[in-house]
Amino acid sequence: MIATQTITPRLERSYARLGVLLIAPTILVFSLVIVYPLLAAIYLSVFSIYTPTLEGNFVGAANYVKLLTGKAFWNSLGVTLIWTVGTLTLQIVFGVGMALLLHQNIWFRSLARSLVLFPYFLSTVVAVLVWRWLFNDLYGAMNHGLMQLGILDLPLDWLGSMPNAMIGVILVGAWKYFPFVVIAVLARLQTIPEHLYEAAKIDGAGPIARFWDVTLPQLRNVLVVIVLLRAIWDFKEFDLIYLLTGGGPVTSTQTLSLLVYQEAFGLNQMGQAAAYSVGMMLVMLVFMVVYIRKTGKEG
Amino acid sequence: MQRSMLQGVIVNLVTWTLVLLIAFPLLWMIITSVKPQTELFRIPPTWFPETITFEHYWRLLTETPFLTYFRNSVVLATTTTIFVVALGTLGAYSLVRFKYRGRETLAMLVLFTYLLPSVVLIIPLYLMMVAIGLSNTLVSLILAHTTFALPYALWLLRSFMEGVPEDLESAALVDGASRMGAFRDIILPQLLPGIISTALFTFILSWNEYLYALVLVNSDSVAPLTTGVMSMLISAFNIEWSLLMAASVMMSLPLIVVFAFLQSYLTSGFGAGGVKG
Repeated sequence: MIATQTITPRLERSYARLGVLLIAPTILVFSLVIVYPLLAAIYLSVFSIYTPTLEGNFVGAANYVKLLTGKAFWNSLGVTLIWTVGTLTLQIVFGVGMALLLHQNIWFRSLARSLVLFPYFLSTVVAVLVWRWLFNDLYGAMNHGLMQLGILDLPLDWLGSMPNAMIGVILVGAWKYFPFVVIAVLARLQTIPEHLYEAAKIDGAGPIARFWDVTLPQLRNVLVVIVLLRAIWDFKEFDLIYLLTGGGPVTSTQTLSLLVYQEAFGLNQMGQAAAYSVGMMLVMLVFMVVYIRKTGKEG
Repeated sequence: MQRSMLQGVIVNLVTWTLVLLIAFPLLWMIITSVKPQTELFRIPPTWFPETITFEHYWRLLTETPFLTYFRNSVVLATTTTIFVVALGTLGAYSLVRFKYRGRETLAMLVLFTYLLPSVVLIIPLYLMMVAIGLSNTLVSLILAHTTFALPYALWLLRSFMEGVPEDLESAALVDGASRMGAFRDIILPQLLPGIISTALFTFILSWNEYLYALVLVNSDSVAPLTTGVMSMLISAFNIEWSLLMAASVMMSLPLIVVFAFLQSYLTSGFGAGGVKG
């Protein structure tokens, strides 16, 4: 890398050694806290383990048979897909829209940007507390606000019944994570050359035509990466859903992450939970491989 | 001219309406936290508080374990950040500026772990912490936070390191500096904004983390803010929303400070962190 032509083979070897030495602590920690647990999860998935005593015995593929033939995994997979597609769609639509607005020359632009970005960095615990208070069926601002505006006639039970609970979770997820899209799209918007717009204007393109013909094609690459990354992160989301609904009512908002947690620490079946988590990872692997190949090529 | 002025005003009004709508939950959090208990349960709610009180903040600090949680979170997030950024800076230097076998595979592995769901690791990590006697300690949480913070920091620092021009380092080497000497004198100062950005991101990630704290820690004396404040919600007989909103505001304080003074570091981290299509 560094002036390869001029350095001697001996120096090159000693550089390689130094390089390995520098990465060694990272590799050690990685192996200890990520690689080993990952392999252990796969190993545990062929055992039946009772969480409080941690005693278990080998059951072979039984956990996987239950995963494939039982309802729980497929039900949760369906819930996860509805949540992911719902919240991701809102994030992208609002995110791109908001980025286009914030790209304009508006009053107090940096203050507006800060206010929009804030939810993304906020702790999920804080976000959930605030929204549970907003959604409160008796005193919540959401119900009263919508009633005062004439949109609702009666207060709604936001998190305790379906489909409201799913809508509520998707809405809060969109509110919390759409700023990610805003930041990424804004950064890209600033690099679109002005002359493209001027050329389109000369050709007589209106604002809407300019969006479809200039802005969107320029945003395409960044949008693909955002969609992949957010899809992966939304798919594995735990905190937000667990704290808002706990997976309820019954299991109607129980995503795969919640299923794994519930199986391991609610039903005390650690082996089965490990099998579910391996199944979940296999589903995610598709997206991960696409994302890694996409980023790897550019990096 | 007249028409474009009007257009500008409309864009402004639309944008600011949306911005205020997005910020409303946060404003509502602050408003609720300063309302007296009697005003809180009024139907319909008062949109602006009629009387402002700080009694909830006072009660939070004197009658609840909030300050213990706060201290735990500060220790946890700070230690995680220092540990991860130190390892990550050396690792990123190695990944970007050295040539050895397996380097590319390693970089791909980092990216892979960056996307891994926590629930996969939580079961073996829980067993591991129980086995080595670390369960219910802050150390176990620091180790657990490394699982998401280290790949994240390493990936971010790798992008920042790629932005440091190579010829400066080469020049120093030609002048007789050692690799580590060049690293200290040339690379580190150039990388500093990237390190600050990464440190802020890591701190916020660690400060906000919930799942590991839920599983690995179950006593008030070591609980961080996330699980601590949630336990105040669950254990209360009737939920004291104004107290919880006061806790939420206090819990967001470090974030507000970062936003007020260091926001450019946060947005620059985005350009580096995986979203550069």
